Amino acid sequence: MAATASEGPLSRALPWLVPLALIILWQVSSSLGWLPPNILPAPTAVLQAAWLKLQDGSLVDNLGVSFARAMSGLIIGGAIGFSLGLLNGLSKRAEMLLDPTLQMIRNIPHLALIPLVIIWFGIGESARLFLVALGVFFPIYLNTLHGVRNVDPQLIEMGRIYGMNNRTLFLKVILPGALPSIFVGLRFALGVMWLTLIVAETIAANSGIGHMAMAAREFMQTDIVVLSIVIYAILGKLADSATRALERKFLAWNPAYAKV
Amino acid sequence: MSSQPTGGSRVSLKDVKKAFGDNVVLQGIDLEIPAGQFLSIVGKSGCGKSTLLRLMIGLDSVTAGVLDAPALKEQAARIVFQEPRLLPWASVKDNVAVGLGEGQSGQAADQQAAAILDEVGLKGREGLWPSQLSGGMRQRVALARALVSQPTLLALDEPLGALDALTRIDMQALLEGVWQDLGFTALMVTHDVGEAVALGDRVILIDHGQVVLDLAVDLPRPRKRGTPEFAALEGQILDKLFGDDPRAREAH
Repeated sequence: MAATASEGPLSRALPWLVPLALIILWQVSSSLGWLPPNILPAPTAVLQAAWLKLQDGSLVDNLGVSFARAMSGLIIGGAIGFSLGLLNGLSKRAEMLLDPTLQMIRNIPHLALIPLVIIWFGIGESARLFLVALGVFFPIYLNTLHGVRNVDPQLIEMGRIYGMNNRTLFLKVILPGALPSIFVGLRFALGVMWLTLIVAETIAANSGIGHMAMAAREFMQTDIVVLSIVIYAILGKLADSATRALERKFLAWNPAYAKV
Repeated sequence: MSSQPTGGSRVSLKDVKKAFGDNVVLQGIDLEIPAGQFLSIVGKSGCGKSTLLRLMIGLDSVTAGVLDAPALKEQAARIVFQEPRLLPWASVKDNVAVGLGEGQSGQAADQQAAAILDEVGLKGREGLWPSQLSGGMRQRVALARALVSQPTLLALDEPLGALDALTRIDMQALLEGVWQDLGFTALMVTHDVGEAVALGDRVILIDHGQVVLDLAVDLPRPRKRGTPEFAALEGQILDKLFGDDPRAREAH
């Protein structure tokens, strides 16, 4: 916690210096011909490709498709993970019944299921949704379970002594107590979500950012390949920032999140 | 606006026994605690004093004997623990509102919460998070939460045990003032004999599950430590606690 170095315009610019220097180095190398465009196109060429793809509308279309897939998978897998995490966190019996099986499945890398998923679902939309949902399920499940389990038992006893019924106890004590951990799960899940989507879209898709990259590869359009990678990076960063904003809003009581 | 006196309620125990399995924790406890009394309960660790407190407040049930406490039937008994046990995600005001129980909200509840926060000296801090308060202030919030429903019986389980020495002295004065204002029956477990004498109308000493000393403290309030009378009472309790072992007494 370097609290003293957090003020002033210089320190605010600090995190941007290295990326900026890298981009300048990249541009200079390309302009001087050290970097052939078929290996790595210049940043300006990537910007140009972005502009072209924006103008013909395909960038927005593909972005929309990818975003919708990511969110649907997140909502489906996240909702199931959250519900099972709560169930197993609140009921010892449910945990004994379900958790060992889930822990076993967790150890399978979900991308290893791709051949099977293609056999089951074909290469349609459901295959991609299934993979994303499966990928985000585990971080959300594990962290929800962990969060519920680790709510301070003294607070639960306090709630009972003050006559809280189960519903109030859940809403006022258990859920807020588990929330920091649930957010950790959400952030992990977002990382897995983009990763899974990239793989799923590059393997089998006829739309989306991953497809755009693979189609460009066929024609050696490295500028569009790089553009796709940059877009993934931006999407990942946006998702992370959104979660941080949610954390600041909902975990304002926690000094660790109050000002990040 | 300050809180109105609530009055106290009596507690009586007749030949009470408490055992966990084969382990007898309390035996042959006979106590009459009149309404409004401030009772201090002292004893060594593991002597059963906290169990006695939990029995009197209805958190545990007696194994044998009779416990009669009208406050339990009227749900007018509350407890303050050594740790404040505040909800970290709720403001001071919302933490106090927990003490009002289900379905108690609106203007009347707000007024009650404001009055009790004023009583414990936390006026103007309603909107803060617990993490923004000092240890002493957090314990004041816990006290306000316990008192907001106007209990007639208040149990205090080492309520100041986690605080530093200066804050303790402050909080003892606060506790005495609140008790004098509201008039509830107070049952306080403490390991600090000086604190027991400073606050209690009566001090009982528990040893091996039995009451071995029952002492009335008849000194004017607020009490000054260091007066001969105060020291004599302290000495009497310490003698009973440690017997003739002067080194143990010295250490206390």
